[in-house]
Amino acid sequence: MTASPSVRRAVLVLLAAAALALPSAARANESAAGTKVDPGRAITSQLICPCSCGEVLSGCTCETGISLKGYVDRELKAGKDRKAIEASLVAKYGEVILGAPKAKGFNLVVWVAPFVATLLGFGIATIILSRWVRRKNALAFAPAGAAADTHPDSDPALAERRARAEAELRELKE
Amino acid sequence: MSEIGRLAILMAFLCAVWSVGSIAWGLRAGLAGPLRSGRNALWAVCGLTLVAVIILVRALMAHDFTYRYVAEHTSLDLAPLYSAASLWAGQEGSLLLWLLILSTYGAAFLWLYRKRLDPFYDAVAMVVASVAIFFTYLLAFICSPFRILANPPADGQGLNPLLQDPGMMIHPPILYTGYVGFIIPFAFGIAVLLMNRTGTRWIEEVRRWTLFSWMFLGFGILLGARWAYIELGWGGYWGWDPVENASLMPWLVGTAFLHSVMIEQRRGMLKTWNVALIVLTFELSIFGTFLTRSGVLTSVHSFAESSIGAWFMAFIIGSGTLATALILYRKALLESENRLDAIVSREGSFLFNNVLFVALTFATFLGTTFPVLSEAVTGSKISVSAPFFNRVNVPIGLALLLLTGAGPILSWKRATASVLQRNFIIPTVAGLVATLLSLPLGVRGIYPIVTVFGSAFVLATVVMEFARGLQARKDVAASRGAMAIIDLVTKNKRRYGGYIIHVGVVMIFVGVLGSTVFQKEAHEPLRTGQSMKIGDYTLTLKGTEQKMERSAALTRAVVDVSQNGKSFGESRPSKAMYFKSQQPMTEVALHQTPGEDLYLILGGVNDDGTVTLQAYINPLVSLIWAGGLVMLFGTIFTLSDRMRLRREEKEAA
Repeated sequence: MTASPSVRRAVLVLLAAAALALPSAARANESAAGTKVDPGRAITSQLICPCSCGEVLSGCTCETGISLKGYVDRELKAGKDRKAIEASLVAKYGEVILGAPKAKGFNLVVWVAPFVATLLGFGIATIILSRWVRRKNALAFAPAGAAADTHPDSDPALAERRARAEAELRELKE
Repeated sequence: MSEIGRLAILMAFLCAVWSVGSIAWGLRAGLAGPLRSGRNALWAVCGLTLVAVIILVRALMAHDFTYRYVAEHTSLDLAPLYSAASLWAGQEGSLLLWLLILSTYGAAFLWLYRKRLDPFYDAVAMVVASVAIFFTYLLAFICSPFRILANPPADGQGLNPLLQDPGMMIHPPILYTGYVGFIIPFAFGIAVLLMNRTGTRWIEEVRRWTLFSWMFLGFGILLGARWAYIELGWGGYWGWDPVENASLMPWLVGTAFLHSVMIEQRRGMLKTWNVALIVLTFELSIFGTFLTRSGVLTSVHSFAESSIGAWFMAFIIGSGTLATALILYRKALLESENRLDAIVSREGSFLFNNVLFVALTFATFLGTTFPVLSEAVTGSKISVSAPFFNRVNVPIGLALLLLTGAGPILSWKRATASVLQRNFIIPTVAGLVATLLSLPLGVRGIYPIVTVFGSAFVLATVVMEFARGLQARKDVAASRGAMAIIDLVTKNKRRYGGYIIHVGVVMIFVGVLGSTVFQKEAHEPLRTGQSMKIGDYTLTLKGTEQKMERSAALTRAVVDVSQNGKSFGESRPSKAMYFKSQQPMTEVALHQTPGEDLYLILGGVNDDGTVTLQAYINPLVSLIWAGGLVMLFGTIFTLSDRMRLRREEKEAA
């Protein structure tokens, strides 16, 4: 007997919903996460200070960081938008200034793999659970006593007593 | 003295080798003599390592600059306590501390199991000694802390200013106690496979050892976050830094194990999975040490410069391969009953919970190592930092939060429709009410709303579980009120300890939500007498002052802080310029209340005479620290069940 069709349908719907929801959730930016961030911080919180400190620019207090935050504020006041400011910084410092790599080329792997792995894990877990349910149902119709655990080591107390006796016998042999 | 230190490590290496060889011989031949000798050799490893540590600490405190390690990590102006703490400031000292904790765990294990005659426990000791071989070898032949300088300097290079903080006195040892502690569960797992042992008794032993290490690692992570908050001065507490990630990964897998082990104990299922999780937790602990000590994350090229990176890599690959081979070889031993009534059950929810924990670990692992991978493949440098982890890990973490609530209210084996309806209706209503109440407070967006809903849902399930337990106790016992609650939780510390930990987790989630979503920031250049506003606070610059300290020159901004016209007195955010390193350090001025923190940083004194002041309001951040303490309490409470069991066993004997 297998898992009921309704359960399987429900699991499939859940998996499909998760497949759709997770990547879109991943695309959600900070403003979508509910914060009313100031435009300067919205940009600097996505950048890394290009000096060796490695801090996220919005929280960086080193000289380079403070100077770059000032640059972003000035560019915003001059009317430049986020894309233009980021592009100018990438042109100057390289992609290493971006706190997260762009989702293209080889770097797409880092964005996709965690969600693919999660969905794969859910899929495998569902298949395993379904098998266990099927096994249980099959055993329910098996002859009486077939499901009993008859392994001699299944009783931990017995196993320990036996190990202890073996150790004592060894001591006696010496 | 350095020769004695060097000799102690060399002898510790030989003792570790002897311990493994002797126990292996004893197990094979079934002789008690070699087993005893091997156990004694592991005791000797611990004693000899302690001797080496004492010699090094003495040299650090005496500023004996003939030792290269002392010259590189201390200086004459360093306070004695910081000099002693320099033991874990560098690679060699950290590895020595690692070995000390490892061998102490080995000795503690031998002491606790000294009355057990089962050779299985000798096999566990053998695995611990095998790992000790690796660390003693590194310290004896690759990176000795006892190297001597031919021309010692008059003064040392000093301690990294970041480490000159009281938190650094306890954070690394606590973190290491957690990291290294996973050796015992790992050793149990390998011993089970080596000795072809069945039964479930060992899994209960492993659960307690894992819980102990997990508690220390978690508390160490919390202390690290607190240190980052106070010392690094960027307004936050968790930056998804590789070192932070390195400590988080074994903690996550350890958490997955602590959940799935319940299924094995109750239902005899997931045996292979549990052994795999134990192995993975330990390997990630070693990987964390490798990450922080190899320099590999700075650049792919620094890997070659590191003296121990390749050794660690070889150890991880070697031990991981051996463990995997053993698991496959003993597949039949790990065969489970694997029968289930329905997917919608507590077993099912725990399995999905495990998937999420492992996925979170994988995402963290991939993000942490991806810059190196990408540079190797594409040739160009990239950063994978907080902006990446916030987008990828947060949704997985929130799914985990929801499962934290769902798991405990699903029945074992099968959750029927009526059970689902009865158990889920109250938490769901609580979640929805909390969400509706949070909307006028400004909560917007999918992540904050799911956090609010999930937190209320989990809290409601915990309250419901306590209420049901109380009702059940009232039916069988006459206790009432507070006594009934005490009676209830002390009768099942494991279950209710777990619920207390869940409450701590919720507090941390809410604290993170408050301090990120509602964080306010302002930065302005001010002249003396000028003010800036942030939230309800008015910050008035009253001037600057200079102060000379033992190892640094301090520039302080004197800021008058008032809230809605009511003065809180003066705050002094400062910058310290350390003489030795010439590194400027930020000293944060913090006004902490249960509701919010006012966090002030001195950006710098500008050429035009203005002072740049950076201010943050971090709401609910205190909930993070309190939540961590609640988790700590819950874990100790759960572990105390063992103490009661031991006492009862003793009384019965």
